Amino acid sequence: MSKSPAGSARRPRPAPSSKTNTGSRRSTAPTPAQGTRFRTRHPVLTALIPVGLVVAAIATMVVIKATGRSSPPAAASSHLAGTATGATTGTATADTGTTTLSPQVLDALSVPTTTLDAVGSPSSVALPTKVGNGNGAVAEGADGKPLITYIGAEYCPYCAAERWALAVALSRFGTFQNLHGTHSSDTDQYPGTQTLSFYGSTYDSPYVDFQAVEEATNQPDGDTYQPLQTPTAAQSALAAKYDAQGSIPFLDIANRYVITGSSFSPQVLQGLSRSQIAADLADSDSAVAQAIDGAANDITAAIASVTGNQPSSVGSSATIAAIAQKLGA
Amino acid sequence: MATHTASGQTTAHRPPAWVPVTSLGLSLVALAVASYLTVTHYADPAALACPDTGIVNCALVTTSSWSVVLGVPLAVLGLVWGAVMTGLTLPWSWRRPARWVDGTRLVLSGAGAAMVLYLVYVELFRIGAICLWCTAMHVTAVILFGVILAGRAASSAPLPART
Repeated sequence: MSKSPAGSARRPRPAPSSKTNTGSRRSTAPTPAQGTRFRTRHPVLTALIPVGLVVAAIATMVVIKATGRSSPPAAASSHLAGTATGATTGTATADTGTTTLSPQVLDALSVPTTTLDAVGSPSSVALPTKVGNGNGAVAEGADGKPLITYIGAEYCPYCAAERWALAVALSRFGTFQNLHGTHSSDTDQYPGTQTLSFYGSTYDSPYVDFQAVEEATNQPDGDTYQPLQTPTAAQSALAAKYDAQGSIPFLDIANRYVITGSSFSPQVLQGLSRSQIAADLADSDSAVAQAIDGAANDITAAIASVTGNQPSSVGSSATIAAIAQKLGA
Repeated sequence: MATHTASGQTTAHRPPAWVPVTSLGLSLVALAVASYLTVTHYADPAALACPDTGIVNCALVTTSSWSVVLGVPLAVLGLVWGAVMTGLTLPWSWRRPARWVDGTRLVLSGAGAAMVLYLVYVELFRIGAICLWCTAMHVTAVILFGVILAGRAASSAPLPART
Protein backbone atom coordinates (compact mmCIF):
# COMPACT_ATOMS: atom_id res chain seq x y z
CA MET A 1 0.00 0.00 0.00
CA SER A 2 1.42 3.37 -1.00
CA LYS A 3 1.29 6.39 1.20
CA SER A 4 0.98 10.00 0.10
CA PRO A 5 3.48 12.60 1.20
CA ALA A 6 0.75 14.10 3.34
CA GLY A 7 0.83 10.99 5.47
CA SER A 8 -2.58 9.51 4.79
CA ALA A 9 -2.86 6.09 3.28
CA ARG A 10 -4.29 6.09 -0.16
CA ARG A 11 -6.59 3.26 -0.96
CA PRO A 12 -5.81 1.84 -4.40
CA ARG A 13 -8.63 2.38 -6.80
CA PRO A 14 -10.12 -0.60 -8.58
CA ALA A 15 -9.55 -0.91 -12.29
CA PRO A 16 -12.38 0.68 -14.25
CA SER A 17 -13.21 -2.53 -16.04
CA SER A 18 -16.91 -3.12 -16.38
CA LYS A 19 -16.54 -6.79 -17.24
CA THR A 20 -15.47 -7.72 -13.77
CA ASN A 21 -17.76 -5.28 -12.07
CA THR A 22 -20.20 -7.05 -9.84
CA GLY A 23 -22.63 -4.19 -9.98
CA SER A 24 -21.52 -2.42 -6.86
CA ARG A 25 -19.50 0.73 -7.21
CA ARG A 26 -17.62 0.12 -3.98
CA SER A 27 -15.94 -3.10 -3.06
CA THR A 28 -17.22 -4.64 0.18
CA ALA A 29 -14.10 -6.74 0.78
CA PRO A 30 -12.02 -5.39 3.67
CA THR A 31 -8.80 -3.73 2.65
CA PRO A 32 -5.56 -4.41 4.53
CA ALA A 33 -5.94 -1.11 6.28
CA GLN A 34 -9.43 -2.04 7.42
CA GLY A 35 -8.14 -5.38 8.68
CA THR A 36 -5.40 -3.68 10.64
CA ARG A 37 -7.85 -1.21 12.06
CA PHE A 38 -10.17 -4.04 13.09
CA ARG A 39 -7.32 -5.88 14.80
CA THR A 40 -6.32 -2.74 16.63
CA ARG A 41 -9.78 -1.77 17.74
CA HIS A 42 -10.97 -5.28 18.57
CA PRO A 43 -7.93 -7.17 19.83
CA VAL A 44 -9.97 -9.56 21.93
CA LEU A 45 -12.19 -10.48 19.00
CA THR A 46 -9.12 -10.98 16.84
CA ALA A 47 -7.57 -13.25 19.42
CA LEU A 48 -10.79 -15.21 19.73
CA ILE A 49 -10.52 -16.47 16.15
CA PRO A 50 -7.53 -18.84 16.59
CA VAL A 51 -8.57 -19.60 20.15
CA GLY A 52 -12.03 -20.39 18.87
CA LEU A 53 -10.52 -22.79 16.35
CA VAL A 54 -8.67 -24.59 19.13
CA VAL A 55 -11.81 -24.79 21.25
CA ALA A 56 -13.82 -25.98 18.25
CA ALA A 57 -11.30 -28.74 17.57
CA ILE A 58 -11.48 -29.88 21.19
CA ALA A 59 -15.28 -29.75 21.14
CA THR A 60 -15.29 -31.85 17.98
CA MET A 61 -13.12 -34.48 19.63
CA VAL A 62 -15.38 -34.55 22.67
CA VAL A 63 -18.47 -34.97 20.50
CA ILE A 64 -16.84 -37.76 18.49
CA LYS A 65 -15.88 -39.50 21.69
CA ALA A 66 -19.30 -39.01 23.25
CA THR A 67 -21.15 -40.30 20.22
CA GLY A 68 -18.93 -43.35 20.10
CA ARG A 69 -17.44 -42.75 16.68
CA SER A 70 -13.86 -43.79 16.71
CA SER A 71 -10.75 -41.89 15.85
CA PRO A 72 -8.58 -42.64 12.86
CA PRO A 73 -6.14 -45.47 13.37
CA ALA A 74 -3.11 -44.64 15.39
CA ALA A 75 0.17 -44.37 13.65
CA ALA A 76 1.31 -47.76 12.62
CA SER A 77 3.78 -49.32 14.95
CA SER A 78 5.47 -52.60 14.47
CA HIS A 79 4.62 -55.17 17.08
CA LEU A 80 7.90 -56.80 16.27
CA ALA A 81 9.81 -53.89 17.63
CA GLY A 82 8.84 -54.45 21.20
CA THR A 83 8.24 -57.18 23.68
CA ALA A 84 5.35 -57.60 26.00
CA THR A 85 5.83 -55.75 29.24
CA GLY A 86 7.86 -57.80 31.62
CA ALA A 87 8.49 -60.61 29.20
CA THR A 88 12.12 -59.88 28.69
CA THR A 89 13.14 -63.06 27.04
CA GLY A 90 11.05 -62.89 23.92
CA THR A 91 12.56 -64.44 20.85
CA ALA A 92 13.07 -62.65 17.57
CA THR A 93 10.58 -64.82 15.75
CA ALA A 94 8.40 -62.83 13.39
CA ASP A 95 4.75 -63.06 14.36
CA THR A 96 2.96 -63.11 11.05
CA GLY A 97 -0.37 -64.05 12.56
CA THR A 98 -1.29 -60.68 14.01
CA THR A 99 -2.94 -57.61 12.56
CA THR A 100 -3.49 -54.08 13.72
CA LEU A 101 -6.34 -53.87 16.18
CA SER A 102 -8.98 -51.40 15.07
CA PRO A 103 -9.64 -48.35 17.26
CA GLN A 104 -13.24 -49.50 17.67
CA VAL A 105 -12.11 -52.72 19.26
CA LEU A 106 -9.62 -50.91 21.47
CA ASP A 107 -12.28 -48.49 22.67
CA ALA A 108 -14.70 -51.33 23.33
CA LEU A 109 -12.34 -52.84 25.89
CA SER A 110 -13.32 -50.00 28.22
CA VAL A 111 -16.75 -51.46 28.88
CA PRO A 112 -19.19 -49.04 30.55
CA THR A 113 -19.53 -49.63 34.27
CA THR A 114 -23.30 -49.88 33.95
CA THR A 115 -22.90 -52.79 31.55
CA LEU A 116 -20.40 -54.54 33.79
CA ASP A 117 -22.67 -54.07 36.80
CA ALA A 118 -25.64 -55.43 34.84
CA VAL A 119 -23.68 -58.55 33.92
CA GLY A 120 -22.32 -59.18 37.41
CA SER A 121 -20.83 -62.63 37.94
CA PRO A 122 -22.76 -65.24 35.95
CA SER A 123 -22.67 -68.75 37.36
CA SER A 124 -21.54 -70.06 33.98
CA VAL A 125 -18.19 -68.33 34.44
CA ALA A 126 -15.51 -69.99 36.55
CA LEU A 127 -14.20 -67.94 39.47
CA PRO A 128 -10.48 -67.38 40.09
CA THR A 129 -9.04 -69.85 42.56
CA LYS A 130 -7.83 -68.52 45.86
CA VAL A 131 -4.23 -69.42 46.69
CA GLY A 132 -3.98 -70.95 50.16
CA ASN A 133 -5.93 -68.95 52.69
CA GLY A 134 -5.53 -65.82 50.62
CA ASN A 135 -3.35 -64.14 53.18
CA GLY A 136 0.03 -64.87 51.62
CA ALA A 137 2.47 -62.23 50.52
CA VAL A 138 1.33 -60.18 47.57
CA ALA A 139 3.67 -60.68 44.60
CA GLU A 140 5.06 -57.34 43.54
CA GLY A 141 6.59 -56.07 40.34
CA ALA A 142 9.82 -54.14 39.99
CA ASP A 143 8.28 -50.92 41.26
CA GLY A 144 6.43 -52.45 44.18
CA LYS A 145 2.97 -52.71 42.66
CA PRO A 146 0.99 -55.97 42.78
CA LEU A 147 2.14 -58.19 39.93
CA ILE A 148 -0.20 -59.91 37.53
CA THR A 149 1.32 -62.58 35.33
CA TYR A 150 -0.25 -64.09 32.24
CA ILE A 151 1.18 -66.97 30.25
CA GLY A 152 -0.52 -68.11 27.07
CA ALA A 153 -0.03 -68.58 23.35
CA GLU A 154 -1.64 -67.15 20.26
CA TYR A 155 -2.65 -70.54 18.81
CA CYS A 156 -4.54 -71.49 21.99
CA PRO A 157 -8.34 -71.01 21.77
CA TYR A 158 -8.80 -70.90 25.53
CA CYS A 159 -6.18 -68.15 25.74
CA ALA A 160 -8.06 -66.36 22.97
CA ALA A 161 -11.17 -66.34 25.12
CA GLU A 162 -9.45 -65.41 28.35
CA ARG A 163 -7.49 -62.52 26.84
CA TRP A 164 -10.71 -60.62 26.16
CA ALA A 165 -11.76 -60.82 29.81
CA LEU A 166 -8.30 -60.00 31.08
CA ALA A 167 -8.00 -56.99 28.77
CA VAL A 168 -11.42 -55.69 29.85
CA ALA A 169 -10.52 -56.12 33.50
CA LEU A 170 -7.07 -54.52 33.20
CA SER A 171 -8.54 -51.59 31.29
CA ARG A 172 -10.18 -50.57 34.58
CA PHE A 173 -6.76 -50.28 36.21
CA GLY A 174 -4.56 -48.92 33.43
CA THR A 175 -4.05 -48.49 29.72
CA PHE A 176 -2.80 -50.74 26.95
CA GLN A 177 -0.76 -49.66 23.99
CA ASN A 178 0.09 -51.59 20.85
CA LEU A 179 -2.40 -54.39 21.34
CA HIS A 180 -2.81 -56.38 18.15
CA GLY A 181 -5.49 -58.61 16.76
CA THR A 182 -4.95 -62.29 16.19
CA HIS A 183 -6.86 -65.58 16.22
CA SER A 184 -6.37 -69.03 17.57
CA SER A 185 -5.12 -71.88 15.44
CA ASP A 186 -7.20 -72.83 12.44
CA THR A 187 -6.61 -76.50 13.12
CA ASP A 188 -7.14 -76.70 16.87
CA GLN A 189 -10.35 -76.77 18.88
CA TYR A 190 -12.61 -73.76 18.37
CA PRO A 191 -10.60 -72.90 15.25
CA GLY A 192 -9.91 -69.30 14.36
CA THR A 193 -11.29 -67.79 17.56
CA GLN A 194 -10.84 -64.05 17.14
CA THR A 195 -8.94 -62.31 19.89
CA LEU A 196 -6.12 -59.91 20.69
CA SER A 197 -2.49 -60.57 21.46
CA PHE A 198 -0.46 -59.19 24.34
CA TYR A 199 2.73 -59.75 22.35
CA GLY A 200 4.44 -56.42 21.70
CA SER A 201 1.97 -54.52 23.85
CA THR A 202 2.70 -52.30 26.81
CA TYR A 203 0.52 -51.73 29.82
CA ASP A 204 0.72 -48.78 32.19
CA SER A 205 -1.07 -48.57 35.50
CA PRO A 206 -0.58 -46.70 38.75
CA TYR A 207 -2.04 -49.69 40.59
CA VAL A 208 -0.62 -52.92 39.18
CA ASP A 209 2.19 -54.34 37.08
CA PHE A 210 1.28 -56.70 34.27
CA GLN A 211 3.60 -59.20 32.65
CA ALA A 212 2.41 -61.13 29.64
CA VAL A 213 4.07 -64.00 27.83
CA GLU A 214 2.79 -65.34 24.52
CA GLU A 215 4.81 -68.50 24.11
CA ALA A 216 3.96 -69.20 20.46
CA THR A 217 2.28 -67.76 17.41
CA ASN A 218 -0.67 -69.32 15.62
CA GLN A 219 1.59 -70.30 12.71
CA PRO A 220 2.19 -74.07 12.48
CA ASP A 221 5.77 -75.23 12.68
CA GLY A 222 5.89 -78.96 12.18
CA ASP A 223 3.93 -80.59 14.98
CA THR A 224 3.82 -77.44 17.00
CA TYR A 225 3.74 -73.66 16.49
CA GLN A 226 6.41 -71.07 15.92
CA PRO A 227 7.89 -70.01 19.25
CA LEU A 228 7.40 -66.41 20.25
CA GLN A 229 8.41 -65.67 23.83
CA THR A 230 9.98 -67.65 26.64
CA PRO A 231 8.93 -67.15 30.26
CA THR A 232 11.58 -65.93 32.64
CA ALA A 233 12.82 -68.28 35.33
CA ALA A 234 10.55 -66.58 37.85
CA GLN A 235 7.54 -66.90 35.59
CA SER A 236 8.29 -70.55 34.90
CA ALA A 237 8.62 -71.19 38.62
CA LEU A 238 5.31 -69.46 39.23
CA ALA A 239 3.57 -71.58 36.63
CA ALA A 240 5.17 -74.75 37.97
CA LYS A 241 3.98 -73.92 41.47
CA TYR A 242 0.35 -73.14 40.70
CA ASP A 243 -0.17 -74.86 37.37
CA ALA A 244 1.45 -78.26 37.72
CA GLN A 245 -0.20 -79.58 34.55
CA GLY A 246 1.27 -76.73 32.55
CA SER A 247 -2.03 -75.70 31.02
CA ILE A 248 -2.53 -72.37 29.37
CA PRO A 249 -3.82 -69.78 29.78
CA PHE A 250 -2.31 -69.32 33.19
CA LEU A 251 -3.06 -66.19 35.16
CA ASP A 252 -1.55 -65.33 38.50
CA ILE A 253 -2.96 -62.35 40.38
CA ALA A 254 -0.21 -61.34 42.79
CA ASN A 255 -0.04 -64.89 44.20
CA ARG A 256 -3.47 -64.43 45.75
CA TYR A 257 -5.62 -65.84 42.96
CA VAL A 258 -4.87 -67.99 39.94
CA ILE A 259 -6.79 -69.03 36.86
CA THR A 260 -5.71 -72.06 34.84
CA GLY A 261 -7.57 -72.55 31.61
CA SER A 262 -10.23 -70.14 30.42
CA SER A 263 -13.01 -68.87 32.65
CA PHE A 264 -15.61 -69.63 29.98
CA SER A 265 -15.92 -71.69 26.84
CA PRO A 266 -14.51 -70.23 23.60
CA GLN A 267 -17.64 -71.63 21.97
CA VAL A 268 -19.43 -68.36 22.69
CA LEU A 269 -17.01 -66.56 20.36
CA GLN A 270 -17.25 -68.97 17.46
CA GLY A 271 -18.00 -67.40 14.10
CA LEU A 272 -17.75 -63.88 15.45
CA SER A 273 -15.37 -61.25 14.15
CA ARG A 274 -13.38 -59.10 16.56
CA SER A 275 -15.64 -56.17 15.73
CA GLN A 276 -18.73 -58.20 16.54
CA ILE A 277 -17.25 -59.38 19.81
CA ALA A 278 -16.22 -55.84 20.67
CA ALA A 279 -19.69 -54.51 19.91
CA ASP A 280 -21.33 -57.20 22.04
CA LEU A 281 -19.21 -56.28 25.06
CA ALA A 282 -21.44 -53.27 25.66
CA ASP A 283 -24.66 -55.31 25.42
CA SER A 284 -25.17 -56.86 28.83
CA ASP A 285 -27.77 -59.29 27.48
CA SER A 286 -25.49 -60.77 24.84
CA ALA A 287 -23.86 -64.14 25.37
CA VAL A 288 -20.50 -62.52 24.66
CA ALA A 289 -20.94 -59.94 27.41
CA GLN A 290 -22.22 -62.54 29.85
CA ALA A 291 -19.06 -64.55 29.29
CA ILE A 292 -16.34 -61.92 28.78
CA ASP A 293 -17.69 -59.14 31.00
CA GLY A 294 -18.65 -61.68 33.64
CA ALA A 295 -15.15 -63.14 33.70
CA ALA A 296 -13.71 -59.62 33.63
CA ASN A 297 -15.74 -58.73 36.72
CA ASP A 298 -14.37 -61.76 38.55
CA ILE A 299 -10.81 -60.89 37.58
CA THR A 300 -11.42 -57.26 38.50
CA ALA A 301 -12.60 -58.23 41.98
CA ALA A 302 -9.53 -60.41 42.45
CA ILE A 303 -7.21 -57.61 41.32
CA ALA A 304 -8.98 -55.02 43.48
CA SER A 305 -8.35 -57.24 46.49
CA VAL A 306 -4.61 -56.68 46.05
CA THR A 307 -4.75 -52.99 45.15
CA GLY A 308 -6.53 -51.96 48.33
CA ASN A 309 -9.72 -51.49 46.29
CA GLN A 310 -8.05 -48.86 44.14
CA PRO A 311 -9.03 -47.10 41.96
CA SER A 312 -12.14 -46.00 43.79
CA SER A 313 -14.22 -46.34 40.61
CA VAL A 314 -13.62 -50.08 41.05
CA GLY A 315 -13.46 -50.25 44.83
CA SER A 316 -16.75 -48.42 45.28
CA SER A 317 -18.64 -50.78 42.98
CA ALA A 318 -21.26 -52.85 44.80
CA THR A 319 -20.94 -55.47 42.08
CA ILE A 320 -17.22 -55.86 42.62
CA ALA A 321 -17.71 -55.92 46.39
CA ALA A 322 -20.25 -58.73 46.05
CA ILE A 323 -17.91 -60.74 43.84
CA ALA A 324 -15.05 -60.15 46.28
CA GLN A 325 -17.20 -61.77 48.95
CA LYS A 326 -17.71 -64.78 46.71
CA LEU A 327 -13.96 -64.93 46.20
CA GLY A 328 -13.36 -64.81 49.92
CA ALA A 329 -11.27 -61.71 49.52
CA MET B 1 6.31 3.43 24.48
CA ALA B 2 4.91 5.09 21.37
CA THR B 3 6.67 6.42 18.31
CA HIS B 4 5.57 8.66 15.49
CA THR B 5 6.16 7.57 11.96
CA ALA B 6 7.08 9.85 9.15
CA SER B 7 3.55 9.50 7.92
CA GLY B 8 2.19 10.94 11.09
CA GLN B 9 0.74 7.68 12.29
CA THR B 10 1.25 6.59 15.83
CA THR B 11 2.55 3.08 16.46
CA ALA B 12 1.83 1.70 19.90
CA HIS B 13 4.35 -0.83 21.24
CA ARG B 14 2.62 -1.53 24.48
CA PRO B 15 -0.44 -3.71 24.82
CA PRO B 16 -3.38 -2.68 26.96
CA ALA B 17 -2.61 -2.76 30.67
CA TRP B 18 -4.76 -5.85 31.27
CA VAL B 19 -2.68 -8.00 28.92
CA PRO B 20 0.58 -8.16 30.94
CA VAL B 21 -1.32 -8.62 34.19
CA THR B 22 -3.57 -11.37 32.86
CA SER B 23 -0.84 -13.18 30.99
CA LEU B 24 1.46 -13.17 33.99
CA GLY B 25 -1.34 -14.46 36.21
CA LEU B 26 -2.10 -17.28 33.76
CA SER B 27 1.58 -18.16 33.44
CA LEU B 28 1.90 -18.39 37.20
CA VAL B 29 -1.16 -20.64 37.35
CA ALA B 30 0.38 -22.88 34.68
CA LEU B 31 3.65 -22.92 36.56
CA ALA B 32 1.92 -23.87 39.80
CA VAL B 33 -0.12 -26.68 38.23
CA ALA B 34 2.91 -28.05 36.36
CA SER B 35 4.93 -27.94 39.57
CA TYR B 36 2.29 -29.98 41.37
CA LEU B 37 2.11 -32.50 38.53
CA THR B 38 5.90 -32.79 38.46
CA VAL B 39 6.17 -33.35 42.20
CA THR B 40 3.48 -36.02 42.21
CA HIS B 41 4.97 -37.62 39.10
CA TYR B 42 8.17 -38.33 40.99
CA ALA B 43 6.58 -38.89 44.38
CA ASP B 44 3.38 -40.88 43.95
CA PRO B 45 1.19 -40.37 40.86
CA ALA B 46 -1.70 -42.15 42.56
CA ALA B 47 -1.66 -39.49 45.28
CA LEU B 48 -2.87 -36.74 42.93
CA ALA B 49 -5.80 -34.88 44.51
CA CYS B 50 -8.28 -35.87 41.84
CA PRO B 51 -11.70 -37.53 41.83
CA ASP B 52 -11.77 -41.00 40.33
CA THR B 53 -15.04 -41.51 38.51
CA GLY B 54 -13.97 -43.74 35.68
CA ILE B 55 -13.66 -41.20 32.87
CA VAL B 56 -11.87 -38.86 35.28
CA ASN B 57 -8.72 -40.55 36.52
CA CYS B 58 -5.61 -38.39 36.85
CA ALA B 59 -3.30 -41.23 37.87
CA LEU B 60 -4.27 -43.28 34.82
CA VAL B 61 -3.32 -40.39 32.56
CA THR B 62 -0.15 -39.30 34.32
CA THR B 63 1.25 -42.84 34.46
CA SER B 64 0.39 -43.83 30.90
CA SER B 65 2.97 -44.31 28.16
CA TRP B 66 1.92 -40.99 26.69
CA SER B 67 2.97 -39.10 29.81
CA VAL B 68 6.60 -39.30 28.75
CA VAL B 69 8.04 -37.83 25.55
CA LEU B 70 11.56 -38.89 24.56
CA GLY B 71 12.21 -39.92 28.11
CA VAL B 72 11.09 -36.61 29.55
CA PRO B 73 7.88 -36.55 31.61
CA LEU B 74 5.26 -34.20 30.17
CA ALA B 75 4.88 -32.71 33.62
CA VAL B 76 8.49 -31.57 33.47
CA LEU B 77 8.01 -30.16 29.97
CA GLY B 78 4.98 -28.29 31.29
CA LEU B 79 7.03 -26.97 34.16
CA VAL B 80 9.74 -25.67 31.82
CA TRP B 81 7.11 -24.17 29.54
CA GLY B 82 5.38 -22.49 32.47
CA ALA B 83 8.66 -21.07 33.75
CA VAL B 84 9.63 -19.67 30.36
CA MET B 85 6.17 -18.22 29.81
CA THR B 86 6.31 -16.61 33.22
CA GLY B 87 9.56 -14.95 32.26
CA LEU B 88 8.15 -13.82 28.94
CA THR B 89 5.05 -12.32 30.52
CA LEU B 90 6.74 -10.33 33.24
CA PRO B 91 6.06 -6.59 32.99
CA TRP B 92 9.74 -6.13 32.18
CA SER B 93 9.40 -8.47 29.20
CA TRP B 94 6.33 -6.72 27.91
CA ARG B 95 8.21 -3.39 28.07
CA ARG B 96 11.15 -4.70 26.08
CA PRO B 97 11.05 -3.48 22.50
CA ALA B 98 13.06 -6.45 21.21
CA ARG B 99 11.05 -8.26 18.58
CA TRP B 100 12.41 -11.65 19.52
CA VAL B 101 10.76 -11.41 22.91
CA ASP B 102 7.40 -10.77 21.31
CA GLY B 103 7.97 -13.51 18.74
CA THR B 104 9.11 -16.10 21.27
CA ARG B 105 6.16 -15.36 23.50
CA LEU B 106 3.75 -15.83 20.61
CA VAL B 107 5.40 -18.98 19.28
CA LEU B 108 5.61 -20.65 22.68
CA SER B 109 2.03 -19.81 23.57
CA GLY B 110 0.92 -21.14 20.19
CA ALA B 111 2.97 -24.29 20.73
CA GLY B 112 1.25 -24.68 24.09
CA ALA B 113 -2.18 -24.44 22.47
CA ALA B 114 -1.17 -26.96 19.79
CA MET B 115 0.13 -29.33 22.45
CA VAL B 116 -3.23 -29.05 24.19
CA LEU B 117 -4.96 -30.37 21.08
CA TYR B 118 -2.65 -33.37 20.93
CA LEU B 119 -2.97 -34.14 24.63
CA VAL B 120 -6.76 -33.91 24.60
CA TYR B 121 -6.76 -36.33 21.67
CA VAL B 122 -4.53 -38.73 23.59
CA GLU B 123 -6.67 -38.50 26.73
CA LEU B 124 -9.93 -39.08 24.89
CA PHE B 125 -8.94 -41.64 22.30
CA ARG B 126 -5.83 -43.38 23.53
CA ILE B 127 -6.12 -43.45 27.30
CA GLY B 128 -9.86 -43.11 27.71
CA ALA B 129 -9.54 -41.00 30.83
CA ILE B 130 -9.34 -37.32 31.68
CA CYS B 131 -6.93 -35.75 34.14
CA LEU B 132 -8.46 -32.70 35.82
CA TRP B 133 -5.10 -31.16 36.65
CA CYS B 134 -4.02 -31.59 33.05
CA THR B 135 -7.31 -30.02 31.95
CA ALA B 136 -6.60 -27.03 34.18
CA MET B 137 -3.24 -26.72 32.47
CA HIS B 138 -4.89 -26.99 29.05
CA VAL B 139 -7.48 -24.31 29.78
CA THR B 140 -4.77 -22.01 31.08
CA ALA B 141 -2.59 -22.55 28.01
CA VAL B 142 -5.41 -21.84 25.56
CA ILE B 143 -6.53 -18.69 27.37
CA LEU B 144 -2.92 -17.52 27.62
CA PHE B 145 -2.55 -18.00 23.88
CA GLY B 146 -5.64 -15.84 23.34
CA VAL B 147 -4.45 -13.12 25.70
CA ILE B 148 -1.05 -12.92 24.02
CA LEU B 149 -2.68 -12.78 20.61
CA ALA B 150 -4.94 -10.00 21.83
CA GLY B 151 -1.99 -8.11 23.24
CA ARG B 152 -0.09 -8.50 20.02
CA ALA B 153 -3.03 -7.37 17.91
CA ALA B 154 -3.53 -4.33 20.09
CA SER B 155 0.10 -3.27 20.17
CA SER B 156 1.59 -4.13 16.82
CA ALA B 157 -0.82 -2.47 14.45
CA PRO B 158 -0.53 1.24 13.64
CA LEU B 159 -3.14 3.48 15.17
CA PRO B 160 -4.77 6.26 13.18
CA ALA B 161 -3.11 9.62 13.65
CA ARG B 162 -4.72 11.87 16.19
CA THR B 163 -5.72 15.27 15.06
